[in-house]
Amino acid sequence: MTHQLPQIILNELDYSYPNGTVALRKINLNIYRGELVGIMGMNGAGKTTLIRTLNGLIRPSKGTVNIEAENIETKSIGELSKKVGLIFQNPQHQIFSNTVEEEVEFSLNSLNLNKEEVRSRTIEVLKTFNLEKYRDRSPLNLSGGESKKLAIASIICRDPEILVFDEPTLGQDGKEISFFTNILKEERKRGKTILIVTHNIEFAMEYIPRTILMANGRIIADGVTKKVLTNQYLVEKSSLVLPQTRKFALKLRDIGIECPDDIFSKVEMKDFLANYLKTKITEV
Amino acid sequence: MTLITFNNFHFRYKKNKEYQLNNINLKIDENKFILLCGETGSGKTTLIRSMNGLIPQFYPGYYKGNVIVNGKDNSETPIAELAKDVGIVFQNPENQLIAMDVENEIAFGMENLGFPKEKMREKLIDITKTMEIEHLLDKAPFELSGGEEQRVAIASILVLEPKILILDEPLSSLDPYMAEKIIFLLKKIQIETNTTIIISEHRMDLILPVVDEIILMSNGYVLEHNTKENIINGKTFQDLNLNKPIIYSIFSQLKKENLFKEKIPASISEAINYLQKNK
Amino acid sequence: MSLEILQAFKFQKKNSFIHNLDPRAKLLFSIVYSVSGLLFTELVPLLILFLTLIPLIFLGKMFKEWMRSIRGLSSLILIIIVLNTYFLSLAYAISMIIRILIMITAFSIFFLTVHPNDLALSLISMKVPYEFAFSFSLAFRFVPTIAIEAQNIMDAQQSRGYEMKQTGLINQIKNLFPLLVPLIVSSIKRAFNVAEALESRAFGSIKNRTYYYSIKYSVKDWMFTIYLFLILIISIYIRIQFLLMPEWILWSLPV
Repeated sequence: MTHQLPQIILNELDYSYPNGTVALRKINLNIYRGELVGIMGMNGAGKTTLIRTLNGLIRPSKGTVNIEAENIETKSIGELSKKVGLIFQNPQHQIFSNTVEEEVEFSLNSLNLNKEEVRSRTIEVLKTFNLEKYRDRSPLNLSGGESKKLAIASIICRDPEILVFDEPTLGQDGKEISFFTNILKEERKRGKTILIVTHNIEFAMEYIPRTILMANGRIIADGVTKKVLTNQYLVEKSSLVLPQTRKFALKLRDIGIECPDDIFSKVEMKDFLANYLKTKITEV
Repeated sequence: MTLITFNNFHFRYKKNKEYQLNNINLKIDENKFILLCGETGSGKTTLIRSMNGLIPQFYPGYYKGNVIVNGKDNSETPIAELAKDVGIVFQNPENQLIAMDVENEIAFGMENLGFPKEKMREKLIDITKTMEIEHLLDKAPFELSGGEEQRVAIASILVLEPKILILDEPLSSLDPYMAEKIIFLLKKIQIETNTTIIISEHRMDLILPVVDEIILMSNGYVLEHNTKENIINGKTFQDLNLNKPIIYSIFSQLKKENLFKEKIPASISEAINYLQKNK
Repeated sequence: MSLEILQAFKFQKKNSFIHNLDPRAKLLFSIVYSVSGLLFTELVPLLILFLTLIPLIFLGKMFKEWMRSIRGLSSLILIIIVLNTYFLSLAYAISMIIRILIMITAFSIFFLTVHPNDLALSLISMKVPYEFAFSFSLAFRFVPTIAIEAQNIMDAQQSRGYEMKQTGLINQIKNLFPLLVPLIVSSIKRAFNVAEALESRAFGSIKNRTYYYSIKYSVKDWMFTIYLFLILIISIYIRIQFLLMPEWILWSLPV
């Protein structure tokens, strides 16, 4: 992947809100096509500002944003949102149509597709998200989980090259999170580039290969998730906590059980303990 | 002492055909830290609102059975009266902060109950110290961070000294460090003031260590209500599709592989204790 | 008229003589000056009235905000001068402008220096029912929240390809739905959330609610009130006895 130019290049980005708050300081970031990247950090660190620079909702005061080798400065939000699909936290902020079906069709309006194409994409995306049974119902009556699915469906039906999720696992139970991870797998298979802003450390450890940590408008770490999230210093600076497996590994060492450094997932920890307990049994 | 009793309580909202709560029989005792969990749509929020009279008084509907809160019936006693015993911190703190600044926010409940000025001042000073929000007194709600909003909302309820404090998904929008901080603050409050705390939450990793009892809900039924130890070692918990804590997943798997025969630990410290004893 | 004029009405917390006056005295002030301004169409009295306001702007430390609002008014001022000069006279046009300046300044000083909470308290002290005064301050409290929400809604819709600009009146009206519907729906949901939060904190439970803060009239406030009454009485006197007034009051521009 390194022989090609990054799909997204953020270069020396600065941004301050009109009321004076500095949200982004000298942001430099390269993201390659097909990557799955997490963005984490304290509330107010600049995560939501950062993602808004990708589709033109926010124009940086300094620095440039390049998407697919083009400076997006002169492109409109309408143009950019065809390539970059931003899916926000709160589905209530966008739902307004009479039926679920119309809600999806609204998202397809600006793509200048013919009627057939609109129909087929709508039916397909409603199927993928298990929302077919609701197609003639009012979207306002959907449950929290269903409306979150509808919000995601409304962007995925537009087939953007880059997907950006803002807190997709917030308030979701196990079943809903499983469904979301399946959607992620599908989109990755199709070669989409995915960015996820999240607080969910365990989710990031399990599913996200690369993570960026932000604090005070700066990127303070950018690397393999498992390395970044198990670094005590970085974790403290970004108002996170160590993943459970890491905390556990450190406590095990405290009581003399030598847990190796590269144990990250719950399966790895389980296997390590399984071996440990087996040796205990054979000892006795 | 039992503070809340549900007796065969059923409830459906006026516009719904199905019952949101089915045959609830539950006893909530004093001085306990209780986790209320279940999949979304299982009835947790409805159950919470039944505990201070919002259901069935504020949300009209059909009900059977009754709910007795500190000796008072939740369908006959005015909500304002029940508010003295049961405080609820709702899901979105933004919509609970109704005053122009933090100081007036905390005074609000006391003003409504007719507390004399001196008493209000004393209690305000106390609670702001406990919740570590003394430096925020003249801030407006939109100037507060998520964690600060949450602490102010909790303070504005705790200042009324309810016997039970209920929080509906209080940690959802908080970053992990702030979430941990608030959980420990709540545990401290439970122990120091004998207040029962009921929390409805998905993020079990953070909360399980401090919990005494768990109520499991599904489809409007209370499946089980028991001590933390009994619940997490039971089949019901195992079968529910919840965000199980990592430690639980690891040890229940080890149990399945017959490498571990004890009670499944609910926290890292419990796991460490077990391993240390058996070295 | 740009949105800048709204800056003249947004409360700013400062420590000034005017800020520290009782809100009721300030309400009286806005009313007295508006009434006095309406009594005259002649240049000189209006000018004098306006000049007495200027020191108060400085006493309230709000010169910057006031200037911003005047700039925002500049296009309106231009229209008034042109129309009035064409149909009546330049002198009349200028008088009207000064009158508008007096009224806007009077109310601007009120809103810039009265905290909405104090406004609610003053309404209550004037025997307005608590629930009414409270819904008033609740509205104030949620204005920034709703503004932020509106921005979030615009962001979410634009990310789906919604275009803010449209051609044609009908299209522009249809184009408001994706913004207004979510805003209204969330405001209604918010109203329910706020209502149940209020119920759960014993709102409206007893008739004799107590108050953490109270407002009291001090010596400063009484002196200010006396000054206001003097202005009112003098203005009314001059109006009634206008033709007996010295020459210079009746002076006007030759145009």
